[in-house]
Amino acid sequence: MTLLSIEFAVLWAISTVVYFLFPLKYRWTVLLAASFVFYFFGGISTGYFMIITIVCIYAVARWLDSYNQKQKKYLSEHPDLTRDEKKAYKLTIQHKKRLILAGGLVICFAILVFLKYFNFLSSQTFSILGLFGVKAKAPKIDLALPLGISFYTLQATSYIIDVYRGKTQAEKNIAKVALFVSFFPQITQGPIGRFKDLAPQLYEGHRFDSVRFKHGLELALWGLIKKLVIAEYIGMLADTVFTNYRDYAGFVIFLGSVAYGFQVYSDFSGGMDIIGGIAQIYGINMATNFERPYFARSIAEFWRRWHITLGAWMRDYVFYPLSLSRAFANMGKKTRKVFGTYIGKMLPTFLASFIAFMLVGIWHGSSWKYVAYGLWNSVIITGSILLDPVYKKVLEKLKVNTECFSWQFFQIVRTFVLVSIGRIFSRSASLMDSLRMLKRMFSEFNPWILTDGTLLKLGLNEKQLFLVFVMLLVLLVVGIMQEKGIHLREKLDEQNIIFRWVFIIAAIVLLLVYGAYGSSFNAADFVYQQF
Amino acid sequence: MKETLIQILKDFHPEVDFETETALVSDGILDSFDIVSLVAEINSEFDVTVGVDDLEPENFDSVDAMCKLIEELQG
Repeated sequence: MTLLSIEFAVLWAISTVVYFLFPLKYRWTVLLAASFVFYFFGGISTGYFMIITIVCIYAVARWLDSYNQKQKKYLSEHPDLTRDEKKAYKLTIQHKKRLILAGGLVICFAILVFLKYFNFLSSQTFSILGLFGVKAKAPKIDLALPLGISFYTLQATSYIIDVYRGKTQAEKNIAKVALFVSFFPQITQGPIGRFKDLAPQLYEGHRFDSVRFKHGLELALWGLIKKLVIAEYIGMLADTVFTNYRDYAGFVIFLGSVAYGFQVYSDFSGGMDIIGGIAQIYGINMATNFERPYFARSIAEFWRRWHITLGAWMRDYVFYPLSLSRAFANMGKKTRKVFGTYIGKMLPTFLASFIAFMLVGIWHGSSWKYVAYGLWNSVIITGSILLDPVYKKVLEKLKVNTECFSWQFFQIVRTFVLVSIGRIFSRSASLMDSLRMLKRMFSEFNPWILTDGTLLKLGLNEKQLFLVFVMLLVLLVVGIMQEKGIHLREKLDEQNIIFRWVFIIAAIVLLLVYGAYGSSFNAADFVYQQF
Repeated sequence: MKETLIQILKDFHPEVDFETETALVSDGILDSFDIVSLVAEINSEFDVTVGVDDLEPENFDSVDAMCKLIEELQG
């Protein structure tokens, strides 16, 4: 069952009616039931892995919480302890908690790593062994990847880390923990929620609210348009270029990567809007996952606007702990002696950032191309920080006005180009293909392909190309309005009823007439669902 | 403490008015690289250990919030 299937629509409609008919206190059970129907609809076999994760994080969180309470009680009963005594006691408790947390994390990530990366690791290991004359067939597991495992594993582990850090209390009801992990609109592609933000909203019974209902439907409609009218068509252009890249060079390759960038943005953010809209109807606000990433003026800013919840997870649970760890601090002290103060101070931070970006890359899938994707982003961010003093001096010497629109526009275009080049790694079939594509892209300068009719030979006919062009303009206008802080749905509410209805009906007609659905299209799957 | 902290912050972003800003992290003025460098400076300047658990936006959104955090850690 996918978000765009009839089965999903039926499940959503039934669960929505039942949700609002149920007593307030028990409405969360409707969401839980719907989530389990959704999850197990496709098969029971891989569902067991989610159950193991739920049981694991429930037990680990309760155990950690018992130590949190014990520490709290002990310290309140012994107010006369000195600072050093308190510190020593906290360290003893922390040591025990760390072991429990490590156990929980190992179980959750072992499932993910085993199911997602075993075949890749096995084939790579046996390839290396082959170089040393060991000839054996690499073992393979033949098991479908559980739905949403990359998303729910991160969400589940964030919960036990937050309990470990004392930022949230452990939930006593395992069924509620199960709902937090499996909430049906979001389980396939996020956003990756945090327990303290999402869980209370899931457990609280929300009353029916007509404005919220309308806004939720409007958001989901916009998400459907992004997915079916933009992503699907522009994806055809991207598919043509990436599948037949040997036939193209120069700007055509670049155009293919740009098309893929818009495809994945419309697809993923469209999915987020559908999920966000559905959740809003229940009174649940999902975490923001996109903030107009193509308006970013640097790669670092791009990652603060693109897949925000994944970036925030990596920041809070990988980058910060590594950067502030004793091992990294000691490394900084040693490298200062060798490379000087500036590099020595920054090196541990760069290394932590590098590891975080590598994990972002690998999280997308088990292939060297994703490693290259992580590396590409990491190198640009690190390079831009290292070169920042030089860069500022050059701008000062050349008397460049960095406050004017033209400069900011240049920064947006520059970031867009760098992001688009990076997309070649994530979209191509393999790392070797992506390198060949890059070579072909830089081998020819042919901007005239934009006007000489080549565009009409890239998988889209004239009408479809025009539709894509118009819809990208719509996306741009909506983005500019959102950047200016305009809340579009509230603005629509302020208009006369006739205009409102004409607008909504036009959007529905656009979706029905131009939406890429039906037997000739394969729009059921979202790009990020496969991760 | 406040003056020292403002001086440290000015080294990161000379263009920002740290006396008045109250959404340094929430508005993206301080990014995660700044936070990590800032924590290292705070740790050595004020003889405290800012832990990962303390890295909440509300603790770094303003100079006053940072002072409060340092005082708590010193306490």
